[in-house]
Amino acid sequence: MSTQLRLDALRGSGVIAKPHNARTIAALTRNPGCTRRAVMDAAGVDKDKTAAATGHPASIGKLSPLAVARGQGFEARVKSQGGAELLRLLRENLGLPIPQAHYLDLGGDDDSVIGGRYLRSRSALAASADSGPDAGTLFDHPMLRLQIAGVWVYLEPDMVAFRLEDKFYIIEIKSFAIVDGVADPGDVTRAAIQSSVYVLALRNLLADAGHDPNLVADQVILVCPKDFSNQPTAHFVDVRKQLTVLRRQLARMADIDRLLDSLPDGVTFDLAPDAHGLPTRSAADLAHALRSVEARYAPECLSACELALFCRHDAHDAHSTAALGRTVREELGGVDCTSTAVALGTGTLVPTDDLVQAAETLRAAHALRTAILGQLA
Amino acid sequence: MADPLGIEELDQRISEVKTEIRKAVSAQDFAQASRLRTQLRALEAQWHGALELAESSVSGKPGNMQLPVRETVHQILTLLAVPAAPRTIVAVHAAFFAGELAGSQLTYLRRDEERSFRTAPHGRPYYLCSALTYDRLTAARGLIAVSSWPLHRRIVGTLSARVDYLRSAIKLAEHIDRTDRPSPAAQRLLWQVAAGIPNASASFGDARPASVIEAATAELSVHDDDDRVQREQAARRARKQLGDAEQLFGAPTLSAVRKAG
Amino acid sequence: MSTLTSYARALAAETGQAKRLGTVRHLHVHDRPLVIVPLTLAGETNAPVAAMAGSQHDKPTVIVAGQPRMRSKRLDFAAELAEVVLPFITECAQRIEYVPTGRDGSEMRTRMADAPQLWVPNPGGISYLRMLGRMTRLRKTVGEYAVPLPVPEMGKWLTWFAEQSEFADTSLLQATTRALSGVWATGQSSVEDGNLAALMAWIAPPPGQSGAQAARRAEDPVTCPPAGPSTDPTFDAVVLKPALDAIDKATSDAARARLLQRLADDLTGQLQPTWDLVWQAIEALRAIPAGNHVPHRWERDRDNFGGYYQHLASDGRPQARRDNAERSARRLNDLERRLALYDAQRAFDDPMVMAEYRMGGDAFCGNVIHAEPDRTVKPGNRRQLRPLIVVQTTDPLRLLPGDADLTDQQRPKQTATILDVQHSGTATHVTLELSGSMGRGLTATPGSVPERGGTVTYSRLRTGYSAPGAFPDRDSIPWTHGGPPAQHIATEDDAREEWS
Repeated sequence: MSTQLRLDALRGSGVIAKPHNARTIAALTRNPGCTRRAVMDAAGVDKDKTAAATGHPASIGKLSPLAVARGQGFEARVKSQGGAELLRLLRENLGLPIPQAHYLDLGGDDDSVIGGRYLRSRSALAASADSGPDAGTLFDHPMLRLQIAGVWVYLEPDMVAFRLEDKFYIIEIKSFAIVDGVADPGDVTRAAIQSSVYVLALRNLLADAGHDPNLVADQVILVCPKDFSNQPTAHFVDVRKQLTVLRRQLARMADIDRLLDSLPDGVTFDLAPDAHGLPTRSAADLAHALRSVEARYAPECLSACELALFCRHDAHDAHSTAALGRTVREELGGVDCTSTAVALGTGTLVPTDDLVQAAETLRAAHALRTAILGQLA
Repeated sequence: MADPLGIEELDQRISEVKTEIRKAVSAQDFAQASRLRTQLRALEAQWHGALELAESSVSGKPGNMQLPVRETVHQILTLLAVPAAPRTIVAVHAAFFAGELAGSQLTYLRRDEERSFRTAPHGRPYYLCSALTYDRLTAARGLIAVSSWPLHRRIVGTLSARVDYLRSAIKLAEHIDRTDRPSPAAQRLLWQVAAGIPNASASFGDARPASVIEAATAELSVHDDDDRVQREQAARRARKQLGDAEQLFGAPTLSAVRKAG
Repeated sequence: MSTLTSYARALAAETGQAKRLGTVRHLHVHDRPLVIVPLTLAGETNAPVAAMAGSQHDKPTVIVAGQPRMRSKRLDFAAELAEVVLPFITECAQRIEYVPTGRDGSEMRTRMADAPQLWVPNPGGISYLRMLGRMTRLRKTVGEYAVPLPVPEMGKWLTWFAEQSEFADTSLLQATTRALSGVWATGQSSVEDGNLAALMAWIAPPPGQSGAQAARRAEDPVTCPPAGPSTDPTFDAVVLKPALDAIDKATSDAARARLLQRLADDLTGQLQPTWDLVWQAIEALRAIPAGNHVPHRWERDRDNFGGYYQHLASDGRPQARRDNAERSARRLNDLERRLALYDAQRAFDDPMVMAEYRMGGDAFCGNVIHAEPDRTVKPGNRRQLRPLIVVQTTDPLRLLPGDADLTDQQRPKQTATILDVQHSGTATHVTLELSGSMGRGLTATPGSVPERGGTVTYSRLRTGYSAPGAFPDRDSIPWTHGGPPAQHIATEDDAREEWS
């Protein structure tokens, strides 16, 4: 069976694969060791719906409409009037020459012509790469694509590709503030990994048009509000590290057949929706199918994966030490299960050969707690 | 039927129903959420009713003395002399006009104008219409223009956004220069526009009309020729290929063609 | 994290109850702290929506920013909060005490008899106060965009509190979740401990529930609102955004007033549970005995408070937007020194903390099985008293012969050098040579040296004075490090920035 057919079968009959975007692609790089997630993402399974159908609705992915409105408002301001604000920043910070003030909106309102929009973006950017800088400066809403698990995924970024001399840059507009030159490191990291998705996709586009992909810089330009104002400010962010991580995960997903081979025959995450789109498959049956694919739950999943609460539930049932944190598992000598750790500590369990050293540490820990804390232990 | 609820009770009921909606949304029970939203709308209608009853002694709203939105937008576009986006129009309105203009009031403006034109072509002295993309001659996203302008001014080429920004800056500066005592809002708008033009403003928050005009004209001379060539070529093409309505509101997009066919 | 805390987590997970990490708490708990529970608008940089503040559990002040999307309203909010914060600070600065100083203690200096202690629900609350401080401290009180005097005044204080909170050893500004996690281990991960409701559920579950069960229930944002500063996204979607939109569109003052009242009630409903949890947490922490060094550290907190109070009274300039190279370097040095001292004090105050060092092999505890208190050596011309002891320990030792500068808490000025390490069965015999703090002659003063049969704990931890790093004067900083720093002068831009 072809990979595509196998993935379709996992997703279920007649279900359209959930489209990817930079955020979901960026999320692929979190917890790369989790087979359950890799397989579901490759198949485009709606993890949100799946989680709800198991009785563990996702706790993530809910965006405040206030935050969304703020983000859109800032972006609209930065891009308005042919990117007048952007031009000012680029002229002031990067010495962009005055004649280069071209602005081309490659966006469209209709997704039925995605392939056509990709071609239009490709020809506009290729034309720019072919000729001098006069053939374009700012390209808004270029349509890009990436191959994920053998499938072309189209990306419609709200970002701008920018040409300076012979390099193209990704401009990522975010509404978190840079206060006194410092932004929240978590926000910057998230922005960097999302931008790296665009860098990779833009490189693919140029390669597709027969150009050197390295025309795209591995630094991106991050545009954010300055201090407490609405005025934008621009900073370079190096995304080389994120590109490496992303490439590695995409390569892993390209090799999805190997992961699919490890699954039991006939497994599917089909929710068998009724006419109203409500799942008819029983929660127990679905959970059984999910459990046939190995997961690697860690607390970090809670902020990165829609299925996290389901996996956490299982991890707790298994008394998993990793569910308490990856370092906790390490510090308990690699023991997988909290019951085992405590039984080894109290000496009620005789360690197997591989756990002799861990048992010694745990017994010492238990002895110290009892000796020092007494009643409190 | 029970007595209508008092406004305090309604406030409390509304808060309770909202909590129920949040529970339903969290549990992804969208059917329940939708039922509750219907309930909420009814409560909010009652709330407004109760409030009006409480306020019935207070006189009604003052009569609306403003121009129709269409006229206001026409005035602003005439002032700017270039196609403009709703947010620009709202900003100019706030700087020069009394009363409120919300972006949402502009949402259906162009569609209504198109409908009017198609029903009775050329029945009005002007229409608020689209700007056209230079390559595909379709309606440029989010821009409003005036039908009486020469077609090439309604074309958007790759440099047109910049050129139009500079042109409108000149027009704004000229307008402020003619005004006896420009409002602080108008001066702030001029400064904001000037901030995007090299050498247009002396310092933070300070922009003089004369220096804005000089700086904008200087940059304009760099782009103007290239832009004009692109626009005029496109305009010639548009006159040849498009009917009257399409010249005003843009060539049909691919999807529209498909739907028709 | 360490093996002992991880083991405590495993124990908690297995039993369903939170487990104590140590014998004492290491933070000061004020008799009358000021609690601030802030909420901020999602997606904005420091757009206060509401806050509950006060120094009495049953008397909170609720502050609601009617329209947080309007920037001017944010400063109105700050002015209201300042009315709670500033009187509280002033009140703590009413009395001073005299403490001896100088070489022989004959001179006296003053110290604040009290200092304000602020509590917020979590580290996000500290970031919030830092941002609010940054937003308000550079405001001008005269001219265009003037704000009321208390606004920049509070800004300077909040900035100061946020700066202080970076020091591990201060009790001036506490994030409740962090304070609790220093005392209890739960059976969930530290990520989940970041949720105050879930953390308190482990520590003090409702009757009839295990900590684990209570924590799961506490994760429901509808029944247990997030402790902020961000509000629950579904609250934003269903309550907050529609309310703000409706207030914007209200056609009469009466309607606006009613909508504001309803919003205030809804926001109070979001704040109250967290407010109660913070006070519950403070009480729970107060019930734990304090470590011996806690009062000493609180003395320094009071000294620092007095110092900044004086600074504001005499100079009053706000903190610069950014530290210059000189200040950053000094600060980094301070952070490190104070952290090392704090680590040592904690280990000496709490055998469980010392146990961490013992498990790691950096400290050992045992019995003196052999002592030669009058042993002397003659490395050069002069004979010196160098007593010798042998300690028997079962701790996993990582120290090696030749390792020096070890001390035992009971004799902080006496150092030991390891001469020999012998393993016999499960025990280890460590031979130590001692020097210092044992009298002047060639015979040790009785009791100055550990005796046979005594219990000792040796480590490299020490609580004595350590000199600050040496830094050049501000005028002689080389150009490679930015040259002499410019004095910070607040500019017009500072005062008007967010209006632009």
